[in-house]
Amino acid sequence: MAKTLTQEFTKGLWQEIPPFRLVLGLCPALGVTTTVQNGVGMGLATTFVLVCANLLVSVLRKVIPAKVRIACFIVVIATFVTLVGMLMQAFTYPLYGMLGIFIPLIVVNCIVLGRAEAFAYKNPVLPSIADGLGIGLGFTMALGALGAVREVIGTGCFTVPFGPTLTILSADWYTPFAFMVQAPGAFIGLGLMLCLMNLVPSK
Amino acid sequence: MNDMVKMVVVLTLLAAASGFLLSFAEQKTAPLIEMQVLNNEQWPTLQTIFKDADNLDTLVDQRFKIDLGDDENVTIFPGVYNGEPKAVAFEAKSTGFGGPLGVMVAVNLDTDEMVAIGVTVSQETPGFGSRAKDEPDLANQFKGLGLLQSFSVKADGGDIDAITGATVTSRAVCAAVTSAGETYKSIKPEILEKVKAI
Amino acid sequence: METNKKFVVSYAPHCHNGDRISKKSYNMMLAALPAVFFGILQYGVAALSVICLCVSTAMAWELLFNRIMKQPPTIGDGNAALTGLILGMLMPPVVPWWVIFTMTFVTILLGKVVYGGMGGNPFNPVVLGYAITRLSWGVFLDVDASLAPGYIFDFNMANPIVAIKSAVWTGAGADAAAAFPPQVLLLGQHCASIGTMFGLGLIVGGLYLIVRGYLRWELCLSYLAGVIVTAALFSAFGPEGKYAGAAFHVLTGFTLIAAFFFMAEDSSTPVNLIPMLIYGIGAGVLTVLIRNIGAYPDGVIYAFLLMNILNPLLDNIRPKALGKVVENE
Repeated sequence: MAKTLTQEFTKGLWQEIPPFRLVLGLCPALGVTTTVQNGVGMGLATTFVLVCANLLVSVLRKVIPAKVRIACFIVVIATFVTLVGMLMQAFTYPLYGMLGIFIPLIVVNCIVLGRAEAFAYKNPVLPSIADGLGIGLGFTMALGALGAVREVIGTGCFTVPFGPTLTILSADWYTPFAFMVQAPGAFIGLGLMLCLMNLVPSK
Repeated sequence: MNDMVKMVVVLTLLAAASGFLLSFAEQKTAPLIEMQVLNNEQWPTLQTIFKDADNLDTLVDQRFKIDLGDDENVTIFPGVYNGEPKAVAFEAKSTGFGGPLGVMVAVNLDTDEMVAIGVTVSQETPGFGSRAKDEPDLANQFKGLGLLQSFSVKADGGDIDAITGATVTSRAVCAAVTSAGETYKSIKPEILEKVKAI
Repeated sequence: METNKKFVVSYAPHCHNGDRISKKSYNMMLAALPAVFFGILQYGVAALSVICLCVSTAMAWELLFNRIMKQPPTIGDGNAALTGLILGMLMPPVVPWWVIFTMTFVTILLGKVVYGGMGGNPFNPVVLGYAITRLSWGVFLDVDASLAPGYIFDFNMANPIVAIKSAVWTGAGADAAAAFPPQVLLLGQHCASIGTMFGLGLIVGGLYLIVRGYLRWELCLSYLAGVIVTAALFSAFGPEGKYAGAAFHVLTGFTLIAAFFFMAEDSSTPVNLIPMLIYGIGAGVLTVLIRNIGAYPDGVIYAFLLMNILNPLLDNIRPKALGKVVENE
């Protein structure tokens, strides 16, 4: 049962990659993935919260009484979400403007509460950090991938995270299939990606 | 009983620690956030609506705040024309189709007429509501109109031509300008007072 | 529990009347022909090529997906061809080829294949495919824009359903609708998509389907009743002259093709009487609501998508099974 730190880290990248394998965290996966940058930014913000919350919950796991553990987790998570919101406003304001309401909504992201409850509350500090980091980066990858598919098909462009916007499909011959960047396109894009993931055996 | 006490103590301590951390963080980030809002939202709009002003380079530094009561305040940007602070600009908010919508309204202090308006924040649908910000058609209709009245789109019986396919956004812009008028009415004496100093 | 199963009697199809899916498909295509021919006559070769491309690409995509999933080819049942034909009827006469390629692709993939093929689809594939394409490339599916270069007719060339939309905003919808009297709409003397112009042809085709039993009259009639009643209520109780009358709403846009052809799609429509009536009336009411109050000129597509989602719930309203349950000790 005992896994190494590396295993705890890498399981989040493929075996338990959140939106695709765990099918958790769908709200941001559908809501913000209109561009690669939004997806990656959202993923990194969630990763920050995950790692910090896992760390703190794991440190305090002997102290927190079982009966009020959910309330304690929420306090911890909400603190870090508010913090990440402030930091993003202060340093990456345009990105914060794009993600808007979805940053405060990390509080109710099932991945964060799920990892605190299912992993950090029962495991020592180091594995908890590794777990949070792995799941978070997996989430980031998944959101980035979904964002890439939607953005390239829906607008013909590709926003390198925190970098320039590249034109992949030139407007000379490609009329963007704008459906993909609209809300229903998110559902269909996610559905088709889930379908592709299921074609590949999990291991 | 012991359990009970422990639960209360742990939760209270956790909440208190969280409160301390957050208030500390807010203190540290508040000025940074204000600068970010200024640079990213208000400055680009100010540049277009005050493009003929003499003090375009310094008007951000000349900004001042006026208290509206209820812990709210509004930031005023003065515009200098021909050596005199003739106009001021400030931001008013309303709710559009996709979320909050901000409109920067510049008003002539002598005539109470609008010099120009511009949309600062918008999360409207690209290609429809976003045209309120990207295209000047809607904003230009407000130029020269008196600010001290209420505005509405033609579908609601007003004079403003709505953007095709974006009636909700156009309504929101009208609502923001109308509320700007109300704010302006209540704080005009204070504005005149402060502008003198420039 | 085990012993119970021995007494379950289920009826297999003991005798088969020789009917096939393909027969229904070909009969529906036959019923659609008058309207399609009239459209081609009116708009010329461009319309013919649009129809042909829709039908052939729909079949080609279906065959491709059959191959990919290593299933026996199902294009023989005519369903793909029928789907393509109805899509073609919704098109304006001039559409870029790549729009049609993509449209039939999403129609067959997202409308049919992902749900396991014909019979498993919760949405009407035609409606879904058209809605997705319309969201992305609305301008290419716009009749007015498509007609602008090159077409000249000796009658009013505005697409009625679009023409009254702006008039409704300014409160003069009834006036605008008066420019299109019913006989003009019935006889196809107006501009609309290829297969929805000739109202009379659609009605004849629809009656044929009802008589042959391929279309339940309950669905068709309740839909038309929903449209007529809602439209009549609007024009009677709305502001004077603001809304068009019932005849206009029945004969323009996609109303007729929806009543006779969308309703004949099996898996997205209910099977029992009361659900059929609710489905039809609901779709009719929504159609007129979207047209008169909503942002889109034609409400048929979204009305049907919404009712499609409701369909599984409606199917729960069913007659009580005969007999009674005996509790086993």
